[in-house]
Amino acid sequence: MKDKVLRLIEEILQAPEGAITPETKIADVEEWDSLAHVMIIGALEERLGVEIPLDEAVEITCVQEILDRCQGRTMQA
Amino acid sequence: MISRMGYNVPKANRRRGDGAAAGRGGMGKKLAILSNVNINSLIRAMKTEFEVYEPEGYGNELLLLLDIQSGYHAFRPDITFIWTDLAELIRHEPEEEKALSYMEEWFAALEQGMPDRGIFYLSDGHLWGAEWEVLSDNGQRYVLENAFRRKLEAFCGRHANAYILPCRGLVERLGAQSAYSETMWYMGKIPYSQAMQKLMCETMRQRVRVISGVPRKVLALDLDNTLWGGLAGEADYEPVLLSEEHKGLAYKNLQRVIGQMRRQGVMLAVVSKNNPEDAMPIIEKHPHMVLRKEDFVCLKINWKPKADNLREMAEQLNVGLDSFVFFDDSQAEREQIRQMLPEVAVPDFPDRPEKLPEAMAEIYRAYFEKAAVTDEDREKTAQYAANARRQEMRKQTADLASFLKTLEIRVRVEDAGQNRERLYQLVNKTNQFNLTTVRYDREQLADCIGRADRLVRLYRVTDRFGDNGIVGAVIAALSGDTARIEEFVLSCRVMGRHIEHAVIDRLERELSGLGYAYIEGVYVKTAKNQPVEQLYDQLGYKLLSDTSGEKRYRRALAEPVEREYYIAEWSQKNER
Repeated sequence: MKDKVLRLIEEILQAPEGAITPETKIADVEEWDSLAHVMIIGALEERLGVEIPLDEAVEITCVQEILDRCQGRTMQA
Repeated sequence: MISRMGYNVPKANRRRGDGAAAGRGGMGKKLAILSNVNINSLIRAMKTEFEVYEPEGYGNELLLLLDIQSGYHAFRPDITFIWTDLAELIRHEPEEEKALSYMEEWFAALEQGMPDRGIFYLSDGHLWGAEWEVLSDNGQRYVLENAFRRKLEAFCGRHANAYILPCRGLVERLGAQSAYSETMWYMGKIPYSQAMQKLMCETMRQRVRVISGVPRKVLALDLDNTLWGGLAGEADYEPVLLSEEHKGLAYKNLQRVIGQMRRQGVMLAVVSKNNPEDAMPIIEKHPHMVLRKEDFVCLKINWKPKADNLREMAEQLNVGLDSFVFFDDSQAEREQIRQMLPEVAVPDFPDRPEKLPEAMAEIYRAYFEKAAVTDEDREKTAQYAANARRQEMRKQTADLASFLKTLEIRVRVEDAGQNRERLYQLVNKTNQFNLTTVRYDREQLADCIGRADRLVRLYRVTDRFGDNGIVGAVIAALSGDTARIEEFVLSCRVMGRHIEHAVIDRLERELSGLGYAYIEGVYVKTAKNQPVEQLYDQLGYKLLSDTSGEKRYRRALAEPVEREYYIAEWSQKNER
């Protein structure tokens, strides 16, 4: 799951494989603007079945937080 | 701006492996993609292949069209795509009469704003959302969708350069469930799922190819394992596959597609290695043949090399070989034609019969669909447009004014201290309408808010559609008799409405009242803030210096200046 999430984020940011790690902070990635963020949250839901509530989605600041939420969702499922 | 992560975004990194369309590329065409919702993700996707207009904001297609000074008009796109969310366009009004009047308003504005050049692709509409599912009469929904479609058809009938983009068809292909994304809609006003966005991009690419290429005229078809399954010569032992079921139905459906193409003006021909006495009875009598002898302009059923047959055919029909598309299941035949007659288009053949109908539809779109507009049409429009242009300009500006007035824009100046987080976001995440792109951390902002020699202003914008939230911020440094604007950002949600003119106008008045004599502004060029490059010029500032992407401006506050903006109400607390 972790790798799938990282590859998905890289795909949307048009970044090379390995550019995104769990430690990556959103604010440090120029390409990760609000539009890219919406696309990432949308793709997580559409392609990986990970639903992140709106108010949580806007508070995410780093990749690890996304991974934590994916973990949480899959465990509930 | 260089990525802080140290990697570069590859430009044009995706060449579509679209065999059918090879040779009809659209490079060099300038595209604009507009909408009344957020389709900036489509723009981003298309940018890897084309030069695409970067709009000022999103969801403001009419504003960009009506404002003759918008970046859209300066960009002069060759092709403009307008994707319309119908529910937004009719303001979620289910009542027919009102909904229709909103449609009419929209088309009238479009008519006004359409520039005199370029080709337009306008989407039809699909009503999406739970609200449409609880209508007591679900037919009402189709009435509205069809009404929009009819108006669109009429519009395209009046404009030789306007064509329909089948949004509804794309939604149907995916199913509404998969075509939309509530998450992205609520987060960022993007209604379309990523699967849908992919289809939309494919459709646009395909339209660009259609416009860029010269359409072909003749479809030359093989028979065995192409128009039917199996071999005509063996029909006595094993009937050919052509029926109402299984693979036989796939071939029949392929023929239906081809028959439809004939009705659109494609000439059909047969080039096949068979004994005519085996093949002709099938063509003339087989109960499931959709295409009959009279549907073909030419039948070459013999054992000669197919290249020779095609050459003869070109002569007989008096069309060039570059008008031919050759469709054959045999790889060897295709290769031979590719080598011997390179002018003939030879698309790939699908690996399974069930893919044949869709593959043929794609061939139609790639090779035969009429280019949108002839050169003659283009010239004609250009001529009268040149004369009308100056006159139009005044008229259109007036129309933009009335349009902006109908928005009932209200601005409220909010307290910066109470909205620190929003200020932080605006300053650090705004790229387009950002004059200096100076980023601040939270401490620096807190410092600015507290200091007597800084003026920090936040702007909330409301219009008749609702509250846009706090969407603008200004930070000015005060020193002596001069105020210098160090930061000026506006969210793309509200760009293109002349709100920036009002903001600066009010700010200048306030500064004037506080005893300042001069105001200074600076524009620092980045990869993304081109839309505001001329802002200070437009606001009547005098250029002081222009060095390496940095332009410094100044204005004496006592000097009169004329600015146009349409704010229904302005409210401001006295902060100082």
